[in-house]
Amino acid sequence: MNPYIHSALLLVGITVAFLTIMLLCAFAVLAERRVLAFIQGRVGPNRVGYGGILQPFADFLKTMLKEDLVPDQSTRFVFMLAPIIAIVTAIMAIAVYPFGPTITIPFTDISIPLRIAQFDVALLYVLGVTSVGVYGLALAGWSSNNKYSLMGGLRSSAQMISYELALGLSLIGVILISGTLDLYQIVEQQSGWYGMQWNILYQPLGFIIYLISAIAETNRVPFDLPEAETELVAGFHTEYSSIKFLLFFNAEYINMITVSMLATTLFLGGWNGPGVATFPLLGVFYFFAKILFFLFLYIWLRGTLPRFRFDQLMNFGWKFLMPVAILNIILTSTIMFLTMD
Amino acid sequence: MGSWSLVSAHWSVLIGHWRLVISRWSRLTSDFCLLLMLGLLFIIFGGFAIGCAISMVVQRNPLYSAISLIGVFVSLACLYVMLAAPFIAAVQVIVYAGAIMVLVIFVIMLLNVEEEEPRPQKLRFLVPVAVLLAAILIAEAAFILSSVQMSQDDPPVSSSSVGLTSSIGTGMFTKYLLPFEITSVLLLMAIVGAMSLARRSGLVGPETRVVPGSQVLPFSLVNPERIGDLSPVETDSTAEAARLMGLDQSTPSEEK
Repeated sequence: MNPYIHSALLLVGITVAFLTIMLLCAFAVLAERRVLAFIQGRVGPNRVGYGGILQPFADFLKTMLKEDLVPDQSTRFVFMLAPIIAIVTAIMAIAVYPFGPTITIPFTDISIPLRIAQFDVALLYVLGVTSVGVYGLALAGWSSNNKYSLMGGLRSSAQMISYELALGLSLIGVILISGTLDLYQIVEQQSGWYGMQWNILYQPLGFIIYLISAIAETNRVPFDLPEAETELVAGFHTEYSSIKFLLFFNAEYINMITVSMLATTLFLGGWNGPGVATFPLLGVFYFFAKILFFLFLYIWLRGTLPRFRFDQLMNFGWKFLMPVAILNIILTSTIMFLTMD
Repeated sequence: MGSWSLVSAHWSVLIGHWRLVISRWSRLTSDFCLLLMLGLLFIIFGGFAIGCAISMVVQRNPLYSAISLIGVFVSLACLYVMLAAPFIAAVQVIVYAGAIMVLVIFVIMLLNVEEEEPRPQKLRFLVPVAVLLAAILIAEAAFILSSVQMSQDDPPVSSSSVGLTSSIGTGMFTKYLLPFEITSVLLLMAIVGAMSLARRSGLVGPETRVVPGSQVLPFSLVNPERIGDLSPVETDSTAEAARLMGLDQSTPSEEK
């Protein structure tokens, strides 16, 4: 293929993926508010646009136009740096996910896989980028010079270190089965047999461990101790306002989306679904449908479960999830060794 | 009819010719662009790594030093990717930037270390030694650089499987199994050692029975003549502890 056409297609792909994720993020916020309202027997925001469809944009404008406060005694440079780290690491993780199968552009002989970057160790890249994302929260807590922020930052870093281990270990089962770290190949291996090749059927334990530790990694209910409103005002982003707050908010939702994308890619067959072989673009629809399922699960959990206590959180992560994840690895490798022939 | 086919044939030849020209030209320029990009990226990441390293040494605030060190790790990981070693790059980010430095920053935040004041330098004799060591390092680097440039033949590109996941895994579990296991035992020893040291040299001995409300002090704090004696002395209140330690001057203690 002509390298310039390739570059142009890549540029289009990056733009489309970025805008899609941003819009998905905006409407996830709206969906969260409406669904929570439904669960709690309220109405929720329904005035801006049809059924409140324009509410995210109104909120965006409102938050943007607030005064950008910087605390007097804060460490200014780090205070600025923290939201940048949070949002950049959140967005960077999108680059390696396959959004759909390889499609052929009509009337040309150009066929492109629907992903931005091909990377041999895509899975490790995702884990690495998300692990760097801790700094955004920790540094925000430290630099605000506020005891609530500091407590939030400390909690988030301790929590994310603890649950990163269980998360990484829960993925090893999938890696053992597929034998590759390339997300595109992992998805391709799960196609066929009417969904009977999805990894969730072979790794149910790994899937549950991944789901729990992913919710903890994204600091969501019931693991939202870094921003527990009743104890810490707003946790690590207490002192943030205007666009910096918006960046943190956005980063949290993008993290939710990327974690859902990883779950979809590794366990639920990615873009696989009925009819993808004939109409490859359907794959994108299935992919996003599965992501939306996980996002709904997040909101559902938030409307249902109370918050953990911090010592319960630590005990659960280290003394229950990690041993179970190791057990999952041992089980998987033993079964694979016995059925190798 | 004939003239039409002639025209179309003419056009197709012309278009085919132009297609060839465009594809050749674009391949040439894109190769050039790729080389330019690689050079540019190397300069950016290398410069960022050097800048962060200098900043790490120069900064007085320990947290800024830690952030600079993270910058060094991340830019080194980018350089590893450019050297076709993606696995090493990913592990560099996950292990060093993602885990170890988080712990370092966690400790700095917990202790809330203040900015260090410039203080009179002890150990002045180390300065010439440092200069000497730096000179040796620079000489070594210069020697390696010159010797590399002297060898004209390019290294084979296709056979570089050093940084790939499968080659690392195979090597680690077959050829280098013993060093790998020994390293893991070494790490285990470090953990156990740290645990036992932290338990022994702390204020509270392992066999001390801590009563709620009382304060437990090591004997060396109470009596200066018994430095190193960590056997516990229990007090019931802060005032009594202060009296024992000689902080409260109004009521001199009998212990001294």
